[in-house]
Amino acid sequence: MPRRDSVAGPVTVGSDRARAVRRRLRDRARTSVDAVEQLVGGLGTSLLSLAVFLLLLLVGLACLVGVGLWLVPSAAKAVRSAADRERARLSLARDLPAPPRVPGELRGVLRDPWTRREGAFVAVHATIGFGLGVLGLSLPISAVQYLLFPLYFWMLPPDEGGPGVVIWRIDGLPDALVVALLGVGWLAATVTLGPPMARLQALPGRRLLAPPRDVDTSLRIAELTATRAAALDAHAVELRRIERSLHDGAQNRLVAVTVLLGAARRAVVRDPAQAAEILDRAQQSAELALAELRAVVRGILPPVLDDRGLTGALDGLAVGCPVPCTVEVDVPGRCAASVEATAYFVVAEALTNVARHSGATTAAVTVHRRDDRLRLRVDDDGRGGADEGAGSGIGGIRRRVEAHDGRFTLTSPPGGPTTLLVELPCGS
Amino acid sequence: MRIVIAEDDALLREGMALLLRAESLDVVATTDTPTTFLSAVDAHVPDVAIVDVRMPPTHTDEGIVAAVEARRRHPDLAVLVLSAYVEQTFATDLLASGTTRLGYLLKERVGRVEEFLAALHRVADGGTAIDPEVVAQLFARSRPDSTLSRLSAREREVLSLMAEGLGNTAIAQRLFVTDGAVHKHIRSIFAKLGLAPDDRADRRVTAVLRYLEDAQRRG
Repeated sequence: MPRRDSVAGPVTVGSDRARAVRRRLRDRARTSVDAVEQLVGGLGTSLLSLAVFLLLLLVGLACLVGVGLWLVPSAAKAVRSAADRERARLSLARDLPAPPRVPGELRGVLRDPWTRREGAFVAVHATIGFGLGVLGLSLPISAVQYLLFPLYFWMLPPDEGGPGVVIWRIDGLPDALVVALLGVGWLAATVTLGPPMARLQALPGRRLLAPPRDVDTSLRIAELTATRAAALDAHAVELRRIERSLHDGAQNRLVAVTVLLGAARRAVVRDPAQAAEILDRAQQSAELALAELRAVVRGILPPVLDDRGLTGALDGLAVGCPVPCTVEVDVPGRCAASVEATAYFVVAEALTNVARHSGATTAAVTVHRRDDRLRLRVDDDGRGGADEGAGSGIGGIRRRVEAHDGRFTLTSPPGGPTTLLVELPCGS
Repeated sequence: MRIVIAEDDALLREGMALLLRAESLDVVATTDTPTTFLSAVDAHVPDVAIVDVRMPPTHTDEGIVAAVEARRRHPDLAVLVLSAYVEQTFATDLLASGTTRLGYLLKERVGRVEEFLAALHRVADGGTAIDPEVVAQLFARSRPDSTLSRLSAREREVLSLMAEGLGNTAIAQRLFVTDGAVHKHIRSIFAKLGLAPDDRADRRVTAVLRYLEDAQRRG
């Protein structure tokens, strides 16, 4: 195999290699430029840190004579703002829980793990981060300065020497080219040292500004407690709904049956024709009771989910929706039954809302599975303005979704269109 | 007898009206919300109001609230409350507005037309009609060491029938015993409950209900 390759395509191999080299060079250039950009950004936040650090030193000195103690909370706020700037730069705030408010009094500040870590960060970033930033900025500047030296050396007096460390006499182009050669060295330093320096500069921020580990778990626990409560709430709400539909629906129908039967029995002797008519109504009422019982059962766990999976169940919902509705389901395999049931109810509730409140002419349901997440989307072209507080069942959707550790977003500007997005972990 | 009905379920409302009209009773208004009910009562001043417990907007105890309010406005109004299920707190709320001219029945009792009509008439005539289910629950809830537990099984039966509002003769017929036997049971019940012996229907129903109320409050 190697032999045949070498015979068949030396040209191809060569051009492949060239392409690979070119790609590697391009990547290198890009990472270097990124690194310089990061170092410059880091320099910016380190300047802020430096200012805050000097402030901290002053406050520290003032503390020695006592008056500084009053300034500690304000200093802590300054520390927080410097830290937040770095958090924003490192995009730390996106996924992680935000720190709690800075404590307003001295003891709280000294005890707060966030503030302590932020203080440490400010000290490191103001010194090492600042140094790295300055170095990171000067490396590429020097490279440019040295490399371009042959172009402008004649404008300078020969005794002046070259840029930076070049203090010897420059006599003519050869000397200038030597300086340019040094510039190549600076460039190499920029390319090789830039990325690790940028990483090093970001390290204190990543380490010290992320939530302290114990804080992280406690927040997670709080979140889990909340979603667990939401799950129980959703469950209770669900039971209440079932109780309502049994008492006010099916049971009322059956009571009507007994009332009508009672009336028919009394009428049977007096007026047989009327009795027959009443019996007819009684039968209708019994049929209604059966229909409502079926609806209640469907509301508890739709049998169709078991029989035909999410696709069939959602198709059924779309067909039953008075607003024309398209369904697109791309879910390979099955999700956990509770997740499918939740997805079904979300769509059912959403389509009920579309039909009742939106005034839409079309609706679209799309369901996709990406890795371990089930993504649901319900769009309509109605008047929008859907509101969680308006008793529209949206609160119920949110509770059910959050009970599954899922995400729920609703965009419904006045005038429409409305988009409901739900993401559920598949749990299978 | 002039009747106003408050029931939010259309089918049931019309069925009930049909039934009552077929019995030559005068259904002067049928309403489906507490507000329309109260204005209908104000406008027609009926003899009896038949009220469903669960009505809009929240479908919880609007009917009870409306019934109590109607009785406050018209102290002579007889009220028969219908409920899908038994809830003693509803009964207690009602009883707080006075124990005469008052009924509290499960909805399905309407189908037993004779008994329902009897209850309706009893309430309209100043009596009481409490569903056997309510009484049974109150018994079930009473503590083992309470006074109620000292009653014999037969005495409990008599007491529940008394609570339903039946007179001695009716109780005797229900239990297939003589009037005298019923009389003896009632005296024994009164003795055990520490009440003065008294045969008058309203007084003894009042006493029984007061006692049941107490039993519930304690237990």
